Amino acid sequence: MIKSQKEKIQRVLAGLFSIGAFLALWQWAVVSTTLGQLMPGPITVITSFIQAFSVPIGTCTIQQHVGWSLSRVMIAYLVAAVVGIGLGVLMGWNPKIEAIFKPLYDIIRPIPPIAWIPLSIVWFGLGEMTKYFLIFLSAFSNITLNAYEGAKSVDPVLMGASRMLGANRTQTLLTVVLPASMPFIFAGLQVAISTSWATVVAAEMVRSTEGVGWVIVSAQDTNDMNQTLVGILAIGIVGFILATIMRGVETRLCKWNKSE
Amino acid sequence: MIECKGLKKTFQSENGAFEVVKNIDLKVKENEFLVLFGPGQCGKTTILNMIAGLETPSEGIVTVNGKEVHEPGPERGVVYQTISLFPWLTVMGNVEYGPKVRGIPKEKRRATAQHYIDMVGLQGFEKSFPVQLSGGMKQRAGIARAYANNPIVMLMDEPFGALDAQTRYLMQKELERIWEQEKRTVVFVTNNIEEAVYLADRIVVLANRPTQVKAEYKINLPRPRNYVDPEFLRLRMEITDAVDKTL
Amino acid sequence: MESNPKVRVNHLTKKFGDLLVLDDISFDIPEGELLCVVGPTGCGKTTFLNSLTKLYDITSGEILVNNEPVNLKKQNLAYIFQENSTMPWLNVEQNVSFGLDIKKVPEKEKKERVEEFLDIVGLTPFRKYYPSQLSSSMLQRVAIARAFATKPELLLMDEPYGQLDIELRFKLEDELVKLWQKTKTTVFFITHNIEEAVYLGQKIMILTNKPTKVKKVLDNPLPRPRDITSPDFIDLRNQVTDLIKWW
Repeated sequence: MIKSQKEKIQRVLAGLFSIGAFLALWQWAVVSTTLGQLMPGPITVITSFIQAFSVPIGTCTIQQHVGWSLSRVMIAYLVAAVVGIGLGVLMGWNPKIEAIFKPLYDIIRPIPPIAWIPLSIVWFGLGEMTKYFLIFLSAFSNITLNAYEGAKSVDPVLMGASRMLGANRTQTLLTVVLPASMPFIFAGLQVAISTSWATVVAAEMVRSTEGVGWVIVSAQDTNDMNQTLVGILAIGIVGFILATIMRGVETRLCKWNKSE
Repeated sequence: MIECKGLKKTFQSENGAFEVVKNIDLKVKENEFLVLFGPGQCGKTTILNMIAGLETPSEGIVTVNGKEVHEPGPERGVVYQTISLFPWLTVMGNVEYGPKVRGIPKEKRRATAQHYIDMVGLQGFEKSFPVQLSGGMKQRAGIARAYANNPIVMLMDEPFGALDAQTRYLMQKELERIWEQEKRTVVFVTNNIEEAVYLADRIVVLANRPTQVKAEYKINLPRPRNYVDPEFLRLRMEITDAVDKTL
Repeated sequence: MESNPKVRVNHLTKKFGDLLVLDDISFDIPEGELLCVVGPTGCGKTTFLNSLTKLYDITSGEILVNNEPVNLKKQNLAYIFQENSTMPWLNVEQNVSFGLDIKKVPEKEKKERVEEFLDIVGLTPFRKYYPSQLSSSMLQRVAIARAFATKPELLLMDEPYGQLDIELRFKLEDELVKLWQKTKTTVFFITHNIEEAVYLGQKIMILTNKPTKVKKVLDNPLPRPRDITSPDFIDLRNQVTDLIKWW
């Protein structure tokens, strides 16, 4: 419909306008006030950002840094997804499993990944494993909770229907409980991708030699505000892209949930 | 075909035990269309659920075709009033679900499913999702899904309750046509007297909770029936008077 | 045509984008009339009602109440929905008085009216009960008492009995007739149920499918209380049924 396309364009323009206004304000502040002594303006930052695609910061270009961070996220996130969905759905579906695992989960969940850093260093050292562990924790927590809620809220009529049609318990779990929980699971996956991305940055800031978190931390050593901002820009852009991709996947997968 | 002996059902809640079904003795003949009729919340759904195996009786037994009922199964197809189609599957996906989980090979189950989709008048909608269907169409799909498992008994719990009056009339006629085409033993729950008299071979009138059988009426009118036929209207008024008042 | 009808609708047209839903609808409702509106499923009855109450902006045409354009703030219109619309945090008495509170009716008169209408709908013994303690039929009576108590210029009812058991419907329909005869309120009653329309309506307006037009307005001179088994009733019912089918 023409009207909704028009509305869409208007929304995008409105967003671009506010970003543009912000950048303009920043540039003006840097040029006309004392802010310019503390930090560079957007033009400088964006220029450096583009340069970083060919000129390495440290040992890697900016896209390589992003690649490092993303790969850490992907590995830990996928493991968290499999474990989280599995555990969450099982807990929501089977009261015995719930009784055993939920209390432990409820205790672990509120602890932020950052609080685990010292323990994780003791257990896994300062290498990649620590980072994976921290990212895993941050993603796992949300995914499990949502999968649990999803499985718990499956309409008992649907479960009754599947048994009536001849499915055994395992089949009911796989062909009814799992698909019915998908909208919830997906919500959890979406939140988890954002928190995972945030956690990798924190994990890299502790100890690493590459990645966007490292870009920021190493800039502190040399007091290079420009580099810090380049890092921040990279983090923002990738985070935004990840969220957009997730939303697109959801629209495709959960079509059946939206009424026309 | 179906026999209920001394059925009783009591539920536990925070306020203590409450008895929903006091005592039900029921016999349903093969291919008979039996209607359980009674005021809202009287326990008729609980009785149906016990026959389906979705609830266990506190006392008494249910046998279908000589076998005692313990749990749900494909030989006792159930159609509910509420959404019971799997929303993430298409119409075809839903109708072939039963045969699929029971391991029937693809060719055979597709053919069976298609046969019933055609029978209920949903040809052309095989690839539609429930969310795209109207209320009447969803119920047709539910009926096809239950039939696709070749049940010996069809249990229907106010399947047309959520539909508007005209669609409801249409669906009653459709169900009649479908049932005449492939006869099964049917137990049909409703609180709508016109629907009951239109469809039933026999109407069992249930009392208010805790429920038991209050009266029985044999409906001998020739099919398909006419809602404004004088005998139809007379039966309607007679049975309405026999029902407990709920206010 | 009456020169001063209570409600006059002139060439009411409603489009959603390019979709024409209501097509040049014109009719009058004389003061104190009980008009029933029926139509095929999906015929735009709800759009019609929402346009009358200005919930939707109409594309063209005018709606006059007491010869002035309809204005919810100035004029007193009451609306009864199919779903429960009682305020759960108020008891029965407070609910009935709610409309009067909003219109700032003086205290003494308010008390009198609440007593009167509670009595007519038989809810006086339940005055201190809260909605969560009442059945759905009682909740509808609370909503109806509340609406009538405000002595509205026009009472719009959108399938208020659609979700109730059938013998309750008859009782409530009788109650509605009683309220209507007593207060001489102008009532606009939408229903899917043809029998209900013939039972209640002084006139029966039949709508066509989308784009919706008025197909016909039938006079219903049958004496009250009406008998659904009488040949005249059946005749009128059949007439309405036929008019809805052929468009």
